[in-house]
Amino acid sequence: MRAVELKRIAWGATLALLALAHAGGARAQDQIPGVSLGLVYSASYVPALALKPFTGSFGGEGVAPDVEAIVGRDLRNADRFEVMDSLPAGLIGDGLDYALWDRLGAVWLVTGRLEGAGDGYMLLLELHDVVYGAVKEQGRFRVPRFSDPDFRMAVHRASDEIVRWTTGDPGMAASRIAFTVTDAENNKDVHLIDSDGENLERVTNNGSLLESPTWAPDASKIAFTSWKTGYPRIYELNLATRHERMLEPVRGAGDYITPAYSPDGATLAFSVLGSDARSGIFTYDVARDCCLAYLSGGPWYDFSPTYSPDGRWMAFNTQRFGDAVPQVMLMPADGGDAETLSPYQYGGGGYFTSPDWSPTGDLVAFHGAIERGRYHILVAALADGGRVLRQLTSEGNNEDPSWAPDGRHLVFVGERSWGYGLFVVDVATGQLRTLVSGRRVGVPDWSPALAPR
Amino acid sequence: MIVRRFVTPVVAAMVLVGACGGDPPPPPPPPPQANQDSLRAYQDSVRRAGEAAQAEAARLAAERAAAAERARRVTAARTTLEEMVFFDYDESDVRDDAAAVLRRKVDILRASPQVRIRIEGHADERGSTEYNLALGNRRAEAVRQFLVGFGLTQDRFEIVSFGEGRPRQQGATEQVWAQNRRGEFIITAGANAINPAN
Repeated sequence: MRAVELKRIAWGATLALLALAHAGGARAQDQIPGVSLGLVYSASYVPALALKPFTGSFGGEGVAPDVEAIVGRDLRNADRFEVMDSLPAGLIGDGLDYALWDRLGAVWLVTGRLEGAGDGYMLLLELHDVVYGAVKEQGRFRVPRFSDPDFRMAVHRASDEIVRWTTGDPGMAASRIAFTVTDAENNKDVHLIDSDGENLERVTNNGSLLESPTWAPDASKIAFTSWKTGYPRIYELNLATRHERMLEPVRGAGDYITPAYSPDGATLAFSVLGSDARSGIFTYDVARDCCLAYLSGGPWYDFSPTYSPDGRWMAFNTQRFGDAVPQVMLMPADGGDAETLSPYQYGGGGYFTSPDWSPTGDLVAFHGAIERGRYHILVAALADGGRVLRQLTSEGNNEDPSWAPDGRHLVFVGERSWGYGLFVVDVATGQLRTLVSGRRVGVPDWSPALAPR
Repeated sequence: MIVRRFVTPVVAAMVLVGACGGDPPPPPPPPPQANQDSLRAYQDSVRRAGEAAQAEAARLAAERAAAAERARRVTAARTTLEEMVFFDYDESDVRDDAAAVLRRKVDILRASPQVRIRIEGHADERGSTEYNLALGNRRAEAVRQFLVGFGLTQDRFEIVSFGEGRPRQQGATEQVWAQNRRGEFIITAGANAINPAN
């Protein structure tokens, strides 16, 4: 690491760095033997990043401040930079004075220019390495006109490119979160919101109970369970046409719940519970509309499947150990022997549900009751076999985590003294922000990275 | 005043006698000499008709009372069939109080073979949404298996879970939660063929 970066590692000191011993403060009976549990973050280097006020030409002047504001917020939300507050243009001048930015403490500098181009704009972004005094990366991004519904998402894609230039990792600004909102009649509908909390949109008009919205890997469809026929059935919503298609109850009677797409989008995994035949997890080829396969289950219930990013494995929830002790297990994606990931103590208990496999493949998030009746977001590294759990929340009740496409952020439902909300936590730093509040929200699912339409 | 009150009836009697004149009144025509047998028969028939009407009225009254009683018992049977059962926190075991309720349903269902029932399982708001769907289903299944265990055929019951999505009461107290952890019973067929248990 370069010396200049080491000087700025002081940012690391601002991170919550709580020892494993943190969990020792809880009551003894809340401990899970053999499991390390705590709010554990490794100190990481968070470089300072500055944005030079974006400029415009050929009609791009008007939207340049809007675009700069969106990019600035996206980069703050990325939790990978210390984004510096905007500086007055008079202080900075028109030119590019690397020495000035270095004195101000910036490691990275982003400059942007918007040019009118056809119906919309061309955004020209440059990433400058202030320490070396050189342009590190540059790119051109087509942005539709301001009134276009894709305007903000096009800018988000540019923001994600800046993340990739600086870290080599994917971003998550160009993504949306699907979740349920409960209305006054206790009915639920699928709502979408952008990763930065803008563009809240209701996409179903269900008039009944609805749960478990889940994105198709190409983001063209959302599957969910609706009770609109009186029975829980799985539907696929085509987001472009808003057409809904019910998956025929191929297993006969029963509750069809908790759908999840395979990474190639061809297969839906879901659970059928209370079937006259066997209950459990099934897969169905939605691309060819055929080929029901039974994976696991029996007299007990298996549900809430989630695929590994390579499509070869599946994590799921099981009640096979009995009531009140649901556990997270892993099995091959075409069925087979399952092993327990969550730290179940035989005869002891533990409540762990709602797994979501990270897009990086090495982590599985779920939530659990460390003390009875209190639920927190937990992350298990597969390398540790679930014996080390990182607890990401410490307040209220927290449920249903879902990974962002950057593999670093989780969205989840938080219950606080003031009500319910959707929160986003950065797994690396523990940084928390509120995405949605003031509504009864549920079961969020973070979309994959959204490509241009 | 005393004298006058005494005199008035005497004067009135004299006036009446004067109005009849001196002729003796003609003898009244002899009453028709009824045949004593037919008279008895007539009286008997009247009595019998009265008795028959009375019996019919009594029968109708009894019938009405029986119908009312039966309707009351059918209504009570229906209420019993629809009576909810409740569960302990995070458990799907049929509690003793729930078993007593279900036992009463069994007797009615045995007497009412056309009745079919949907058992709806519900959970309170605590715990995860998807887990509570499974928990609601397990509760409904536990109830179904309890009923099937008494020899009722499985195809008379369908089960459906609503998880935590259909609370009876809103709130965050144990009292509210206890009301929401429940099984509900919807009659889906044979509602007009409910027979009270014998």
